[in-house]
Amino acid sequence: MIESILKNIQGKDQRGSSLIKCLTECEKDEIISVIKVDTGKKAKQRLSNLGIVPGAKLVKCRSAPLKGPLEVKIKGSSLVLGRGIASKIFVKCSEEQCQYI
Amino acid sequence: MRQRHRKGYVQKHNLEDKPLKGSSQANTINIALAGNPNVGKSVIFNQLTGLSQTIGNWPGKTVERKEGQLEFLGFHFNIVDLPGIYSLSTYSLEEIVSREYIVSEEVDVIINVIDATNLERNLFFTFQLLELEVPVILAINQCDILDKRNRSIDFKRMEEIFKLPVIPCVAIHGKGVHQLLEEAIELSVYHHPHQHYLKKGKRMHEHLSHAHRTQELYTKEWTMHLRPKKSFQFPDLSSLLKFGKEVEGKIEYLISEISQFESYFSQFNYPGRFLAIKLLEDDNVVNSFFKKNESTRYLLNIAEDFRKELEEFHGEDIHTIISSEIYNKIHKIIRLVLISEKKEERKKSLSDKLDQITTHPFWGYVILILILVGTYFFTFEIGNLLGGYLEEVYGMWSVEIYGMYGADPLWVKLLWDGVVGGVFGAIGGVLVYVIPFFLIMEILQDSGYLPRAAFLLDKFMHFLGVHGKTIIPMILGFGCNVPACAGCRIMETRREKKISVALTSLIPCSAVLTVVMGLVGRFLGPIYVGLLFLINFVVIIIFGKVLNKTMPGKCTELIMEMHEYRAPNTKVILKQTWNRSKEFIFKAMPIIIILGIVLELLLMFNLLEPINLFLSPITFILGLPLICGIFLIYGIIRKELTLVLLQDLAQSLGMTLPMLLTPLQMFVFSLVTMLYIPCFATIIIIARETNWKYAIKIALLEVGVAIVIGALVYWGGTFLLSLL
Repeated sequence: MIESILKNIQGKDQRGSSLIKCLTECEKDEIISVIKVDTGKKAKQRLSNLGIVPGAKLVKCRSAPLKGPLEVKIKGSSLVLGRGIASKIFVKCSEEQCQYI
Repeated sequence: MRQRHRKGYVQKHNLEDKPLKGSSQANTINIALAGNPNVGKSVIFNQLTGLSQTIGNWPGKTVERKEGQLEFLGFHFNIVDLPGIYSLSTYSLEEIVSREYIVSEEVDVIINVIDATNLERNLFFTFQLLELEVPVILAINQCDILDKRNRSIDFKRMEEIFKLPVIPCVAIHGKGVHQLLEEAIELSVYHHPHQHYLKKGKRMHEHLSHAHRTQELYTKEWTMHLRPKKSFQFPDLSSLLKFGKEVEGKIEYLISEISQFESYFSQFNYPGRFLAIKLLEDDNVVNSFFKKNESTRYLLNIAEDFRKELEEFHGEDIHTIISSEIYNKIHKIIRLVLISEKKEERKKSLSDKLDQITTHPFWGYVILILILVGTYFFTFEIGNLLGGYLEEVYGMWSVEIYGMYGADPLWVKLLWDGVVGGVFGAIGGVLVYVIPFFLIMEILQDSGYLPRAAFLLDKFMHFLGVHGKTIIPMILGFGCNVPACAGCRIMETRREKKISVALTSLIPCSAVLTVVMGLVGRFLGPIYVGLLFLINFVVIIIFGKVLNKTMPGKCTELIMEMHEYRAPNTKVILKQTWNRSKEFIFKAMPIIIILGIVLELLLMFNLLEPINLFLSPITFILGLPLICGIFLIYGIIRKELTLVLLQDLAQSLGMTLPMLLTPLQMFVFSLVTMLYIPCFATIIIIARETNWKYAIKIALLEVGVAIVIGALVYWGGTFLLSLL
């Protein structure tokens, strides 16, 4: 199902498919915007409460070694996300700077 | 203006009416502090009540709600500090409990504490609070930090948007804190919010309390106006709270359906709109309200159809849809109220630099180890110094006393050896270690280091079947297992909570540390101490592995907020250290002293032997002298008792510890004390956090492990020694 959604989004995106990736693949300090959160229901609920919803802008800060969790900045606060969750958050590069990050 | 307000009020309610308050005092106002974790609720609470609520820079330290009282402007305030939550859904038990408490009759006014530096996320909670239509005061905290970032908030505009009082605060310095109470009085007396920011040089509203600060007569009159919060006229925020067309249409339909059953739903205290939203969101608790009543059950199906329709339309989960809608609204508000004075140039602050190094892939771990080892060394150096000095003093005085009265009279044995010896043993053997330890723990908590440790060790903790957050209670467990196990409440699922408490209860606490240091550290040297800890940690890892394998379910992922470092506040740290130590002094010391006397009595009447004989199979397996049996029993009450009382005994027998125990026995004795059972208080806390069955299971399991490992070490050690 996720593939079809991603394909759908990619279709709309003029710049091609290479822009869509999961959070774990992002570079450090990259400003990105969330496209799709594909975790379980409970995690999705918590993430949406914390502001990780499609369209939200965030910056990837750092990740712990040995495939540990990673830290993102969103809405002025730092969140630590386990690697498993981060790999289920799909994002794309965001051109516009977000002034509230 | 004031007159008009009061008149306006009197017309609505008859003054002769008795106040409808459920509380005992007529002039009581019940306040709840609610908001996101780590925004300063506990700081405000402490500023108001002077109580010593635990403050720390990690989310979740308010594990249960704390209550305090104060008198202000002739009113009696009951203040409740709720645990920090991000939402009022059903993600965690805290969220459910908090929202039920907020709408209950027990609270009159809710103070929503908001972190000014993190307005967007904090307002998400505010929006949820507004759905409950309760009297809310918005306290914007940490305004000083926002100032430092060259930003400010337009409070007047914010008040216009929310139509509720908005108060800027700097809670740590007590700024704006009492204004919150004045505002609470206003809300309780007028039953409708007012705006009070300056408009064209004129005050919009004058506080009652400003004009009549000390006139009790007025206070008395006002107390007549206090009514439960049901009579509060919640401002019309429909344009603010409205969702997008698709969602709002469905919610409106549900509201109109729900309103038919108003008399039934009024028992739950939730407003219709809240019920409608939660019904749409498939909230278990709200669903159960609808399930209970035959005639409302059909709404569940309607809501499900709506939900499916919306999810299909948006291609998203319902929570995501609703959260996105709220965040969109917040985003617009932020644009209106947050003023950036100039484009922010984020220089790397000290906090950022510290952050960088403490989460560094290499140095982060080095620092983590240094902190843990350093803590132990600091504790031990100070403890040893003071403890040694106290021991000398006691020895000198003992000689004098024995010289004067002899060592044999009953009263010398009871009063001197029992009471005074017990006091010295407790202070010199335990307290001198405990206080420095608590001090460091407070600094670690207050600075905000602990979430960094969770970040670094998340991967490792997954290996044990829990995620990184468990490390926070575990590190605190080095101080005392009891609050640490209670802190395991921050874990999200039952499974993780169960594993966390079990692992935390195995962490060698400061009491165990005193035994290990006082026995093995003193007589055998630091290498053996290290060996003991190594065995302890291996046991923890095996325990975690086994629990992870045997418990159904899977390990969830870490989602945790990491707050900025902040300079520890000396006053707060000293106060908290004192509070913790005080607890120890008044709770543990009497037990130590009483048991010291009991031990003397048992010794005198030769009653130790039957008990020790009964325990002899265990002491034999462990290779310990018979006499140790009783201390292992005492250790269940408090672990340091094993050593303190052993020392007492040695003194009474006129022996020293090395005469009583061989080096190998010392090692085994310490090892068993380390592992064999969580102390009594810890077992109770584990039972409270999980259930009694599990607590007893864990306790017995640990006893078994301790005996097996203790025996292995003793017999293995004996064998090795015989080879040499």
